[in-house]
Parts: sequence; C-alpha cells; structure tokens
Amino acid sequence: MKTITSTFALILIFALNAFAQDAQSIITKSDSVINAPKDQHQFSRMILIDKDGDEKVRKSEMYQKGDEMRLVRFLSPADQKGIGFLSLPDDVMYLYLPAFHKIRRIASHVKNENFAGTDFSYDDMSSFKYAEEYNAKLLETKDDVYVLELTPKPDIEKDYSKLIIEVRKNNYYPIKIDHYDKGGNLWKVLERRKIEGKGNYWISMEMEMKDLKKNHSTKMITDKIELDNGLSDKVFSKRNLKKVK
Amino acid sequence: MNDNKIFQKIIVFTLLIISGNLFAQSDLSINGYIQTDNRIRFDNGQFSWNENRLNLKFEGAPSDKYHFFSEVRLRGFGFPNVNSVSELQTREKNYVYTWGIEFREAYLDLYQFGLDDIDIRIGRQIIVWGTADKINPTNNISPDDLEDIFNFGAQLGANAFKADYYWDDVTLTGVFVPIFTPATLPYGDYAKAFVPEFNIPPGMTIRNVTDKITLPETKLSETSQYAFKIATNLFDYDLSLSYYNGRDDFPLANEIIIIPVDTFGTADVQTGMIYPKIQVVGADFSGSVFNIGFWGEGAMFLADKVYMNTYIQTQMGLNPIEKSVALDDEPYLKYVLGFDYTFSNSWYVNAQFIHGFIHERGKDNLNDYIAIRFEKKFFNDKLKIVPIGGVVTIIDWGDIGNNYGVAGSPEVTYYPTDNIELIFGAFIMMGEGDNMFSRIQDQDEFYIKAKVSF
Repeated sequence: MKTITSTFALILIFALNAFAQDAQSIITKSDSVINAPKDQHQFSRMILIDKDGDEKVRKSEMYQKGDEMRLVRFLSPADQKGIGFLSLPDDVMYLYLPAFHKIRRIASHVKNENFAGTDFSYDDMSSFKYAEEYNAKLLETKDDVYVLELTPKPDIEKDYSKLIIEVRKNNYYPIKIDHYDKGGNLWKVLERRKIEGKGNYWISMEMEMKDLKKNHSTKMITDKIELDNGLSDKVFSKRNLKKVK
Repeated sequence: MNDNKIFQKIIVFTLLIISGNLFAQSDLSINGYIQTDNRIRFDNGQFSWNENRLNLKFEGAPSDKYHFFSEVRLRGFGFPNVNSVSELQTREKNYVYTWGIEFREAYLDLYQFGLDDIDIRIGRQIIVWGTADKINPTNNISPDDLEDIFNFGAQLGANAFKADYYWDDVTLTGVFVPIFTPATLPYGDYAKAFVPEFNIPPGMTIRNVTDKITLPETKLSETSQYAFKIATNLFDYDLSLSYYNGRDDFPLANEIIIIPVDTFGTADVQTGMIYPKIQVVGADFSGSVFNIGFWGEGAMFLADKVYMNTYIQTQMGLNPIEKSVALDDEPYLKYVLGFDYTFSNSWYVNAQFIHGFIHERGKDNLNDYIAIRFEKKFFNDKLKIVPIGGVVTIIDWGDIGNNYGVAGSPEVTYYPTDNIELIFGAFIMMGEGDNMFSRIQDQDEFYIKAKVSF
C-alpha cells in the first residue's frame, strides 16, 4: 500500500510539474506575443471614467522598443501637455515637467502609484514580463482560452498577491487579467479588446483597466500605431524626453 | 488722418498678415493659463497680494530640426495707485489698474546643429541646473525671481546661448550669457526677511535710508557669464560636475555714506551696492536606494573679495571712518541632501537638508534648514492635501530654543475637472532670534488661488 501511495505521489508531482511547465511556457509565449514588435510608435487616448460616468480624456504619444524602453509624452489636456515619462531597464525612470524646466529622476517607490491619474500604475505601464516576474499555474482550459494563476516570484516585490489571466489559445494573446490585492480581494480588472493583426503581430487597439475599489476605470484606445520603424536607442534618452513634437 | 498714421496702419496690417502666415506654416500652438491669487493677512485682514494673471505660451516644432517657444505674462496687480483726480482721467487707466507685462522666455532650439549630437538653444531662456528641489546651489545662470518669497526657486529668463553635445551616456553643456541680469527681491514688507538686524551707533538716529545699485559695465569682461557642465550615469546614479563664472545676482552693500542733518545725531544714510564676481564649482547626483529616491548637490563658491567702505560727509567732503570686509574671498560650500518616498498608503514625503539658503553668502553666514513636505491625493486625484509642508531653520544648534525659525505652508488643492485648480492654503511663520522667518513672523496670511489652463 505504501509503495502504491509513494508511486501515486511521484506521478502527481510529475504531473503538477508538467502542468506548471506548461503554464510557464504559455505565459512565456504570451509575453513574447505582447512584446513581439521590435518597436512601436503610437498615438492614443486615455479616457478616465469615474463612478458617475464623467469622463476625462488624455492624449499621448508613446514610443516603445523591446520590452524595457518606453517614452510617453502627453499631448493634452492643456495642464499636462508636454509632461514626459521615460522608462529604461533596471527600473530607471525619468519624469519631465516643462513648468519646472528640468528632468527629474524618479525612484521605484512610485511603481505602485497611479500613472497620471489613470487606473494603471507605473508598474502596469512598464514592461510586460509576466514569465520573468511571476510563477504560473494552469487553472483551467476553456474552449478558446487558458486560465492561469500567476503569483509573484519570491524575490519580486509586487502590489498584487496574484493575477488570474486568460490567454487566447489561438494566438496566446492575454485578453483579461484579474489583479488581486495582498488581502486576496479582486482589485483591478484589465481587459484587452479589438485585437487586430498588424503585419506579423497581434495588437490590442483598446484596453480597459477597472479599479473595483475606486469604482473608476481607464480606457486606452490606440488611434494610430506604427510598428518596426527601426527606432534608435537615442529616442529613449533624456535628450529626447524634453523635446516637444 | 495724416500720412504717418496711414503708414503705421499699413505696417501693422502687413505684420499681422506675415505673422499669421508664419503661424499657419509653423504649426504654432498657443497654450497658457489664467490665474487669480489673493492673500490676506491673519492679524489685520489686509490684502497683501491681489494678482490676476494671463500667461501665454507660444510654441511650434515645424520640423524635427527646430522648435521655438515663448512665454509672456500679463499681470494685473489689483491695488489701484490713485492719488489725484488727474490720475483717474488718464486714458491708459494705469493708475486705476496697475499692471505689468513679463517677457519670460523666447528662444529657438536647433536640433542636430552641424553635428547629429549637438543641440543649441538661442534666446531668452530659463536654465535650471541641479538635482535638488527648488534650492539648487549649482543653479546660477538664470537670475532668481524672488518677487514672491514663498515661490523660492522661481527664476527669470536670461538672454543666453546654450549648446549640448551628447556622446553616449555623457552630455556636455556650455552656456554663454552676454549681459548680466540681477535677481528680483521680495515684494513689499517681505523684503525684510533677507535683511539681518543691524546696530545703529549709540546716539545716532537715522532719518532716511537710500540706496544706489551699480550694475556691471556693459562690456564683455564685466557683464558676461559662462558655464559648463558634464553629466553622465554611473552605477545607476545620475552625476554631473559644473562650473560657473559670473556674478552673484543679489546686491551686496560695499559703501555707506552717513550724512549728518543736525547736531543731535540725526543722519541720512546712503548705501552703495554692487554685484560681486563669483566662480562656482558644483556637483550633483540622483538615484535610489531600496526604492527611496536620493539626491544631493553641492557647490563651492569662490567670490572676489569685496570691502565695505564707510564714510561720513563733512563740509570738507567725504571722510573715511571705517573699512571692513563685506564679502571675504574665502571659499564657502553650500549643499543640499534630500530624499523622497511614497508609502504603501500613497502618502508622499519629500525632505531636504539645506546648508545655505538662496540669498546667503560667505562662510560664516550660511545657516541650516530642513524642508519637509507630506502630501496625498484623494478621490482619483481630484483632491491633494499637504497637511505638513514647510521649512525649519536652526541658527544655533547649541541654543535651539532661542535661535530657530519655522515657515509652514499647509495647502489643499481641488481639481474639479481637467485644467482647473482651486488652491487654499496659508503661510505661517514663527521663530526666535534673528533669522529669515522670525523677521516676518507677524506676516502670517492665508491665500486662495484659482487657475484654469487652456
């Protein structure tokens, strides 16, 4: 009996490992789909919707190269025009505030703060590296999506205790992410919609982050996107951050 | 209508057409804000500030190679300055409405000028150096604008030429300012914050005090300034070294003439003031340790020695009675160390230790200050509260109780919608002994500001 139990346990461990590896490979593929374009240049609108349905609109221009270099510049409203944000590898971030005439280095303590009044935190806005930062577990396989549970790796500090992520089976595009707070309560829900084929890539032209605690949401709509323009690293520099286009 | 007026109208009309075409071609954008700022003293209910401001920014980037920007302020100061009926009858209405125009910036950026890695900026510009918040010892090119004493860190534009050369992670900057521009000083009775107490000789009564400022001669060797900076990133820290050669933008008294007016010891005093030449060698850094943002900035000031000559006027002419040192040529160091952090409950704290405030100079005249600010945003950033914000100075660490000053500025900002800010706050000063804040401790006030951006 003891031998049978041990054998069953061994099989279970192998099976769990197999599931875990499978889940990790799914999230790795998902990351690679999201980060597939070599570089991106896009114009988008961020629509902030409060609990009464009142809307605020922010227009921005964003450059991204790989999964670790990003430059965002606000085009409107008037009191935010010209504000720029530069994110570089190793959590190096800069903020340019035209009214103060200087670029300010910002430390990673802001990572969990809301970015420019939106429901996305600085961390949400930075690179998508779920496989690198989270351990994945396959919860369910539905007809068209994998449902995975992601928990932060032991050495990674996150504001979320876990993520439940739905990844499309056909193209590994993540379409929904439930973010749970450290108390295990559902906090934010990210949905990606209008997923379109652009050249060799899949791009979500609209996404919405809902903060259930604040009863507030932010819709990000991509109005124009250019891919693989061969952006130079110089685009992601302090020199370029303070330039007005 | 005479020929001259017709000619003027033709010129104006032509200029409008030309400028309109230029604007259309150059993709000009016009933004700005309208702001009202009202301040009332606690003790007597007197208005100390009543300003309405139209701030206009003109900007365009017709190509990747150049960009232009200008900022102009039209300011109405609120307090009428009417002393006679005739002043009520002026067609300019400038006694009824006191107003001013401020030409803050107007410059042209030329990107990749000559070489791919060179950008230049020509024209009136505000140049800010240093990593610290508002108090930047390495920041000496653009003159300080201390008209509003509570907005320290504000600067005026300087007519300048600036060039930046980018080489990998290294940026070299050179600045040339042909003509010296002095700093503005606090408006009204706030000026006394910067003036230390002085002892009048026993038996003397001063009737009038006048001053005369002598600006540097308008020749290259006297009025021009230049500066260099090299900046890079090492071990994830941003670092820079800088050098400035120019003048201190605060006036320094170098001459006192005592003019007796009677035999009972009453006298008038005339003060002569200059802007001493200085060189400043500076360095700064910014980075983070364990998610906490850290920065530091220090500058060694090398001033030319300035003597104070005191004379008494007699029937025979000016008799020298004392010669002392107004500013020693011994180098002195100003520095700032600071950090900021956002707690998990979203409270933000920013704190700095400052050795040597903006107006302080000379090794023995630098005081220590601690600036701290706590703030938090509520209701999806619609409300920002600063319950604790201010500066503490300790003049004598051995006798703090009798030698301290505090300036507090709690503030609430409400953003009812995009582009609109309503600000309520107060300036509260207290202290013991002679220091910047104790000198104005009877001038506490609260303020209401409203701002709409467009």
